[in-house]
Amino acid sequence: MTGVLQRETPKAGAEADHTRPRHPRRSRSHVAVFVIPFFVVFALFFLAPIGYAVHQSFFKLTSSGLGLTEPTLDFAGLDNYATALTSPAFVGSIVRVLLFSLMEVPIMVVCALALALLLDSARARFRAFFRVSFFLPYGVPGVIASLLWGFLYVPQTSPLIDLLAAAGLPHDFLGPDTVLLAIANISTWQFAGYNMLVLIAGLQAIPQELYEAARVDGANELRIAWHVKIPLIRAPLVLITVFTLIGTLQLFVEPLVLKPLTTAINSDYTPNLAAYNQAFAQSNIHLASAEATLIAIMSFVISFGFLRMVNRKGNRAW
Amino acid sequence: MGSKMPRVARLAAVAAAAVTLGVTAACGGASGDPAGGPASGDPAQPVTLKFWSWVPNIQKAVDAFNTSHPGIKVQLETITAGPDGGYAKMLAGVKAGNAPDVAQVGYDSLPSFLVNGALEDITQHAERHASTFVDWQWQTGVFGGKVYAIPQASGPMGFYYRKDLFDKWGIEAPKTWDDFAAAARTIRKKDKDSYISTFAANQAPWLIALAQQAGQGWFGTEGDAWKVTIDNPDTRKVADFWQKMLDDKLVKTEADMSNAWYKDLQTGGVVGWIGGSWGDAIIRGNAPKTSGKWAVAPMPQWAGSTGFASASWAGGSSSAVLKGTKHPAEATAFAVWLNSDPQSVNILLSAGYGWPSVKDTGQITNLQQDDTVFPFYGGQNIWDVFKEADAAVSGDWRWPPVSEALYASITDNAKAAVQGEGTLADAFAKSQQAMVEQLKAKGLNVVTGG
Repeated sequence: MTGVLQRETPKAGAEADHTRPRHPRRSRSHVAVFVIPFFVVFALFFLAPIGYAVHQSFFKLTSSGLGLTEPTLDFAGLDNYATALTSPAFVGSIVRVLLFSLMEVPIMVVCALALALLLDSARARFRAFFRVSFFLPYGVPGVIASLLWGFLYVPQTSPLIDLLAAAGLPHDFLGPDTVLLAIANISTWQFAGYNMLVLIAGLQAIPQELYEAARVDGANELRIAWHVKIPLIRAPLVLITVFTLIGTLQLFVEPLVLKPLTTAINSDYTPNLAAYNQAFAQSNIHLASAEATLIAIMSFVISFGFLRMVNRKGNRAW
Repeated sequence: MGSKMPRVARLAAVAAAAVTLGVTAACGGASGDPAGGPASGDPAQPVTLKFWSWVPNIQKAVDAFNTSHPGIKVQLETITAGPDGGYAKMLAGVKAGNAPDVAQVGYDSLPSFLVNGALEDITQHAERHASTFVDWQWQTGVFGGKVYAIPQASGPMGFYYRKDLFDKWGIEAPKTWDDFAAAARTIRKKDKDSYISTFAANQAPWLIALAQQAGQGWFGTEGDAWKVTIDNPDTRKVADFWQKMLDDKLVKTEADMSNAWYKDLQTGGVVGWIGGSWGDAIIRGNAPKTSGKWAVAPMPQWAGSTGFASASWAGGSSSAVLKGTKHPAEATAFAVWLNSDPQSVNILLSAGYGWPSVKDTGQITNLQQDDTVFPFYGGQNIWDVFKEADAAVSGDWRWPPVSEALYASITDNAKAAVQGEGTLADAFAKSQQAMVEQLKAKGLNVVTGG
């Protein structure tokens, strides 16, 4: 028996030694099998359309005279980009979403953080119920949410406006000065719960010992939230800020749905709406592609710029 | 292998049966369809046509065509309405070589299809049918003497109003625009919650129709250039009129065909609407409880105008034969039948597609007596009003090859004017400027006038 064992042991050891260097190579091909489907789909439905859009943005259709003959497709260089960037309507729409971001991002982050801290506090009751209720609006598709709020914003159909008017409060949600706030309200309602969930996940990863230590040191709930919780969910906070930044820069559904209800939203209200209008209403896919590319570049620059800013060493104080 | 044999055999049997059926059906069809002529196809080898449309229930008309024309098989594909993406799909189809043979294209979009090289010249097959159709509607499909589309329906305008309330307040249906303004004023005095109508800044086709009725058109050609004349005296007259209505708060400013507007139709918040002939279904559908209380009058007229003038909401809609079709003759035959055969026109009419493009409406039974429509309007034969209106649409009106851009521009500028950023007259002037730039950007020759 021992002889058998002795004879087998080195063999087994040798085999183990043998497989160890082979292992990475085998797993690499395994990895490839699992990853290739992703990259194929990613390339086909993400990279290729983006590449095609960028390609299209360098061309333009040109007719001549009355246009009774077929138009020709010419290389236009950066003409479409110049057209977009010199169009007051498109530049105006960029300024508008930048303003919207400045307003909406802080509102969103503060709301999500407040909800998350409330649900995470030691005294919170019915946590599961409230977590689900706060999250529920995220399950409502954006178009439906905008239609819903649209009903509440229009005097003839809104019980809300009757109440506000009776109380003598301002109640014009669709005027030129208020419609952007009305849109901010819809997106906050829709996404605050989702962002809250991201923060709650971060809060739950904090070791309980830290709270105990803080309590021993005499900190109350408020101080724990400020000095322990918030600094420790810095990463998820940065994450939801970037999500919200990108979301606000790409504002589209809410103004599109509210557009027929108000004179304050035109067809170039946001950059995305302007590109959509060019592509589907005015059949100018080349200018639309250029505008879409500009929107993408703007989102990249702003969100990476923000990440760079918050990740600079000097800013990591908290 | 063994399992495949029966399937092949079965296919062959089906094919044989189809051929036999086709032949017998052809015998029946040929005698009953003298108009089919040379383009009715060979029943033994039916030609298949693809047809894209968004008209509800048009399948019934297509079925009727397929039954009576065994040599041509039309396959309908229902698509989203043109301005909502249908046109983009068609133009992409033409580019990719898989466009339908026949497609639903609005009169207002035919020029842009032409400029995009998306229409087939069907002059040789279609020309002889010109006299079947109302002339101004036929002309919308003719460019440079060549025929590209068969007209289907228009939307002649009339004034829908709450006759019961007008009677109560002692107001007559306005004959002129001055009467309209006076009636609006009286209504505001009689009931603080009622308005004669809304000023629908959201609705470019409506604004355009108001301008069209006033006289001078917005687009035309001069030599080999497009002539843009939006900012003209007649349109300025319309702009000034509605600006005063807005300034005096005699009209609402909510969007038409919106929930707010439907609510107002139901409650009497809005007691009138200058709308297209198909608008009757919109009022009936959204304010069913007001049945019997409405009536329709002709569009108010401008003082000093010679003869009765009306307009058509966004022109109307045609069946266009798209570039790349292999069967232009059959496609034309289908388009002509669809839009002129009394059976088909009756089907389309009850589907609410608009006012028929055929000249002789005597055979269209739905226009003579309509038991669903007339009772809603207190028994009035409202089609008489729209028949007169359709005949009074100017044949000189031309659409530009950039009508979608025109709509967006008119709507944006009119909305701004309603908000107090400049006047309506400024809005039309701004749109003229925008259209000139738009046409130039396409490489087209442009001249302006006014």
